[in-house]
Amino acid sequence: MGYLVLALVAGLAAVERKGFLQAMLSRPIALAPSIGWALGDLEGGLLVAAPLELLWLGAVNLGAALPVHEALGTAAIAGGAVLAGRALGGGVAPEVATLAVVLCAPVALLGRKADRLVEIWNERLAARAEAELAHHHPRTAVRSNLYGLVLPFAIAAVLAPLGAALAAAVVPAVLRAVPQAAGPLRVGFFAFAALACASGAKALRARTALALFFAGLGAALVVALVAVLARGGPA
Amino acid sequence: MSAPRKVPGRTLARVFWRCLFLQAAWNRRGMQNLGFAYAIDPALRALYPEAARREEALRRHLGFFNCHPYMAAAIVGGAVHHEEKVAAGAEPGQQPLQYKQTLQGPLAALGDGFFWTALRPFFGAVAALLALLVGWPGILAALAVYNAIHLVLRVRLFRAGYLKGDAIVGDISRLGLPVAADRLRAAGAALCGVAAGVVVLRSLALAGGPAGIVAALAAGAGYVALARGARLLPIAYAAVLAGIGTAVLVGRLHGSS
Repeated sequence: MGYLVLALVAGLAAVERKGFLQAMLSRPIALAPSIGWALGDLEGGLLVAAPLELLWLGAVNLGAALPVHEALGTAAIAGGAVLAGRALGGGVAPEVATLAVVLCAPVALLGRKADRLVEIWNERLAARAEAELAHHHPRTAVRSNLYGLVLPFAIAAVLAPLGAALAAAVVPAVLRAVPQAAGPLRVGFFAFAALACASGAKALRARTALALFFAGLGAALVVALVAVLARGGPA
Repeated sequence: MSAPRKVPGRTLARVFWRCLFLQAAWNRRGMQNLGFAYAIDPALRALYPEAARREEALRRHLGFFNCHPYMAAAIVGGAVHHEEKVAAGAEPGQQPLQYKQTLQGPLAALGDGFFWTALRPFFGAVAALLALLVGWPGILAALAVYNAIHLVLRVRLFRAGYLKGDAIVGDISRLGLPVAADRLRAAGAALCGVAAGVVVLRSLALAGGPAGIVAALAAGAGYVALARGARLLPIAYAAVLAGIGTAVLVGRLHGSS
């Protein structure tokens, strides 16, 4: 049942990403918690939402350029992490999230390749619409536009559960076989999340992004230090 | 010249709704051509009761079109404005096409520069930071504000395009989008820095001192590597490996002391 739900949510996200609305609902920050909630672990989806959003902040459709399919990657990672956490009986811990990211992030690249196929399919739809209009079927011609939503939905609905199934099979097996790997993997997750923040700042292409990024980082650390000192030192 | 024909308000609402599907069949040959024809079709049906004229109008909107999906609302509205005049015999059939061709490039550049590389990433950074600090309510709040701005602008652009036609250029330039975009990008970069600080603090709290140091290094060195043209996924894998390697090394040093 979990895989069916994941297929549906991933398919709808793929449609929202480009074909309909584009209201940020398919961005990692919205999609990962949605998948977590749909699979019964909102907190698990939340854990990966912020790092994935910042990692892929620059994944935007500019003109004819195709970015990585951040929605598909997110669906596979969040779905895989939640299902693996459930198999381990403890929810999505950082070590589970690290392995899910490592295993499923390439699905986003696969999604970009699939987008090329979608464009070829859509070219056929456009040609068919012209032919329908030539045969005096204007309603059929314009309706062809909606058929363009089918393939992105189907591709995401297949690839996201496949990626998640891989994570759900491999992650529990690794963590059961090598339980002492959990600590280092947890540190790996924080390193990944910090790198994702840098990726977000870089993607914003501000002239003074470097200075602003480090100023923000420094300010957060100083505020935390002041808060700790005001409380009378570390607990 | 025949009596002026107006598209009813309900039909205009349908056209706007269909604008949301503009990129449903995006393709490399005509790009958003099919989406544009789909969006404007209800207006053409209202304006041209004669099948031959309706098909002729639809044919001209099946030609190449590409714009930013939000900004395109202004062009769809403007195209309806011109089609009303064509239907009334006040303009030649080429006028809606000329309008589209003139505006699609500049509005695409403006929309990409404001919405895709500034407003949306800014709200992505806001939502990510709020997710780290307060959880899902923060995400909901950020998405609600983003969509309030984006949907209001989309509706207003469509309305302005329909009511003013070519005069919409002045309205859009008065919005000052490029200046706002620069400010949003700068604020977004700072927010990403704050998010990195939160991650470093959380790693210190949950995984100890070495984890905090690794996270701070991943943020700093990662930014520099990305600025020098390193590819994103390999760098992300390298950060994970660096974190794992450091933890293993620290664990061994502790074990041997």
